[in-house]
Amino acid sequence: MKTVTLDLDQINVRKTRVFPRDPNAAVAHDLRDELFELEAKGEIIVQRVPEPYIQVQTKFGRVKKIPIEHTWHHKSCGQCGHIPGYTTAIFWLHRQLGLDYIDPTDQTSCTGWNYYASATSNAVAQAAVMMRNFAAAYETGYFPTIHCGTSFGHYKECREQLIKHQDLRDGVRRVLDKLGKPLVIPEEIVHYSEWIHAMRHEIAQRQVFDLSHITACVHPACHYHKIVPEDAIYDWEVFGGQRTATVTGLVQALGATAADYSTWFDCCGFGFRHVLVQRDFTRSFAVQRKIQVMIMEANPDVVITHDTGCVTTLDKSQFSGKAHDYKVGVPVISDAQLAALAMGAHPFRVLQMHWHSSDWRPLMQKIGIDWEYYWQEFQEDLAAIKRGDKAGVTWQDSDTPIRTQEHVLARVPSSAAAFSKEFSMSQRLTTPVGE
Amino acid sequence: MAYRDNDKYADVPQELKQKLFDEVKADERYDDYLYGCYECGICVSACPSARFYDYSPRVIAQTMAREDLNRFYEILADDIWNCAQCFSCVRCPRQNNPGGLVTLIREVAVRNGLKETREVLQGYSRVIYKVMLKGNQVSPDMLRPDFFPDWGPWVQEFSANMREWRLAIPTDTLRGVTDAAWKTDPKTLRELYYIWYSTGNLELIQEVDPGLHGLIAEVVEEELAETEWAD
Amino acid sequence: MSSHRVLIIGGGPAGLTAARHVSDLGFHATLIEKQAQLGGTPIASHYAALTHGFRDAEDAFRDLIHQVTDDKQIDVRLNSRVVGCEGRVGNFNVHVANGAGAETLDAGAIIVATGFEHFDPARETQIYNYYTYPDVITLADMELMLKSKTVTRRSNGALPERVCFIQCVGSRDRQIGNEYCSKVCCGVASKQAIEIKQLVPTAKLFIFYIDMRMYGYWENEIYWPAQEKYKVNYIKGIVTEVIQKGDKLLVRGEDTTMGRPMEVTMDLVVLSVGMEPSAGTKEIAHALQLKQNKYGFIEVPHESLDPTVTSTPGIFVAGAAAGPKDLDDTMSMAGLAALRAMAAVRGAN
Repeated sequence: MKTVTLDLDQINVRKTRVFPRDPNAAVAHDLRDELFELEAKGEIIVQRVPEPYIQVQTKFGRVKKIPIEHTWHHKSCGQCGHIPGYTTAIFWLHRQLGLDYIDPTDQTSCTGWNYYASATSNAVAQAAVMMRNFAAAYETGYFPTIHCGTSFGHYKECREQLIKHQDLRDGVRRVLDKLGKPLVIPEEIVHYSEWIHAMRHEIAQRQVFDLSHITACVHPACHYHKIVPEDAIYDWEVFGGQRTATVTGLVQALGATAADYSTWFDCCGFGFRHVLVQRDFTRSFAVQRKIQVMIMEANPDVVITHDTGCVTTLDKSQFSGKAHDYKVGVPVISDAQLAALAMGAHPFRVLQMHWHSSDWRPLMQKIGIDWEYYWQEFQEDLAAIKRGDKAGVTWQDSDTPIRTQEHVLARVPSSAAAFSKEFSMSQRLTTPVGE
Repeated sequence: MAYRDNDKYADVPQELKQKLFDEVKADERYDDYLYGCYECGICVSACPSARFYDYSPRVIAQTMAREDLNRFYEILADDIWNCAQCFSCVRCPRQNNPGGLVTLIREVAVRNGLKETREVLQGYSRVIYKVMLKGNQVSPDMLRPDFFPDWGPWVQEFSANMREWRLAIPTDTLRGVTDAAWKTDPKTLRELYYIWYSTGNLELIQEVDPGLHGLIAEVVEEELAETEWAD
Repeated sequence: MSSHRVLIIGGGPAGLTAARHVSDLGFHATLIEKQAQLGGTPIASHYAALTHGFRDAEDAFRDLIHQVTDDKQIDVRLNSRVVGCEGRVGNFNVHVANGAGAETLDAGAIIVATGFEHFDPARETQIYNYYTYPDVITLADMELMLKSKTVTRRSNGALPERVCFIQCVGSRDRQIGNEYCSKVCCGVASKQAIEIKQLVPTAKLFIFYIDMRMYGYWENEIYWPAQEKYKVNYIKGIVTEVIQKGDKLLVRGEDTTMGRPMEVTMDLVVLSVGMEPSAGTKEIAHALQLKQNKYGFIEVPHESLDPTVTSTPGIFVAGAAAGPKDLDDTMSMAGLAALRAMAAVRGAN
């Protein structure tokens, strides 16, 4: 054998090749084909994604439609119960963007958390709970947007099983017939964080705080990208399309640094049952495999995630880590809260930061938010409520972004409300996907 | 067929082990969750519980494929409760779903009211009560310092201010609600109760916690009496 | 008008061999090659040594190429591609396009030898970050380095202390849709491990595998020496993630014989990418209206007993266009395809 001199940079060239996902070459079949078949047979109604919608690309290339408005918000029990600023931020963003939505009272949880925690349910009951909620959304004419990652994943599993198994469909139909409700499956199952991802440039246009000096670690939620993985959003501009673009896309659009860390794929340690009744696992995993690794490798100012359990676990588990001298002490918020924060949401009336236990004050300071001023304002709200002078904090108290003239970015238009929905959206809709 | 000679549950009759095993396999999801396993270890590598416990999603898949009844019974009684149900294991290149198998096996354990299962679920019953009657897994009033001492002084601060904090939320469906995650229509809850009632979910609770079942059934039956749905 | 010409599509190992055999037995062959050079993937991708016998690939193929180009009975058309075809066995009209335009060639029989391409790691569902980290490379990239006798880290040019191979990338995977085994990667990885050890004796080598498929003499010629003489570590268990940690790569997997999750650092990670039908194979299936199997390879209806027959009488297939093949099988298949093509021409006349 002889030595040949070859240009080894050829390898580097090979490695820069762009490899767009080809929807036609997608391995996973498009479930919607089967949904439409069932609809044609008269078995179900397929609720269509309302226009205008934004097209995004999923893991293997299928194009997914994300509705911009006329959405029915399937809330999350963990968010509403323990992180109310999460839910409130999602609605606040819709209100700021002038988008039509419903916050329903005709909604139950998916009960999936309980199912994954204790299995004290069965396939028919779980599918029936989902279909009751979908029917409730359909009756309003609004399209469901799912706030919880577990509901999102669980519903997609239920949908797959319903499509596959006639007897499951018949079982669910018997229940819903009795309740006088139709069998409706939405054309797409949409997670709110996909809406945020799709709207991230609109959100960035309304940004009032500069985040370019902020480093964030992103925790992608297991039930978002691991259950039915082919349905999660991927983008070649985010980590080379090698992991879901949701959340990281927003962090980047807002100008913050999305810092990598070696355990990004690991779960947070929530465990469904563990977080409630076996927290030794939850605490250890959250601190040792997630928070401490993030701090040692990336030293983030904030951890951003997009699901109920992840925010709770990563936030609340840090206290116990302190006792054992682990490296902890970083605030954990959702992508919705980060987006709202960047757009000037009130830290307490909207973001409800007082429900978070890991110290968020340094983050506020670094961004340039005089949190003490707003905390004082909020304390006055609480005092008025206590005295009975105020029934509660309302949207009227919360809709206006906070004033922080010295931090307003030059690129923000003088009137944020002047944005032309039609223009920017039609522009997006005509952007071909996958080219 | 025994693959191992140290059988932890030697006192459980083989016929019962076989019956429970068959019950798992009879689930219509079973064939979607287990194809075959060539021991690549991808599921274990991705599994959080494998790092913390003596737990292996690969062993779950192999045990089911081999029909190893004794090991299956150990999984049924013990291993399944270590799984975090994060579904990291569905990266399996064979498209097995060990986490999904765990869900099916857990369902069988619950449905048959195994002694070990009842013990595991003991501390959890207040959650079942909440989810079945309120339609929410958790509510603010569950954040009590005695349940969450490891969450630090924040829980005390929250507890002392819960009422005002809840009223200080602009989202209309959340404002002031402390015993559920959000305000739900009474009709919606009755529809949920009918789902529990008509799909056998209520009887299921009887198997794991008869006392809890009594409490839930009383409310469900009373509410359903207001409707024309129940037989 | 019937034709005595055998038209061969693809100038790689199978096409060259088929052309040579056709000529040896006195028939005229036309060899159509899309690229500007002959030799196919082994030459275009700069393969170093052949797996069986460690012979230098360029030397080996130079001889074969010369036998074809020096042969007056073989008409070689470079930079050409088949765009359509009419007729039947004994009398095909094949439309060939090149830079100058298009022409129609007559042929009595056709041999498709359009080969494979390396699986693109971008489609991998495990997280290997080929397009993110410079020190994650493929078997084909490593061949290029071995051919240059320079095995270095792409990130900093340093000699690697620890190198690992991850087997079955893009093969044996239902999620990706490639359920088949690509046959050669176990042998190629082990061959490369030996070559790396020869070039960098201080390097520690690891191969993460599901099953080592070292057929026949590959066992004693490659697998055992790799383990016994070159101390390559074979670990049963596949890596799920490759993560940059400082200036090292952290690989995660399960050591399945130990039954525990494993995390080790590496300097260079080589992905043993498998075979997929080449773009040319898919194009030709369309142009000749040949049936493809579910993976896109040319379908062979009776593979065991009649391995070169396609869905169309008079059109035969040789080599990896019909599915993953090692070189030995490819060459045998090319000989058989040549024989079958000539018999078809003779039978039709």
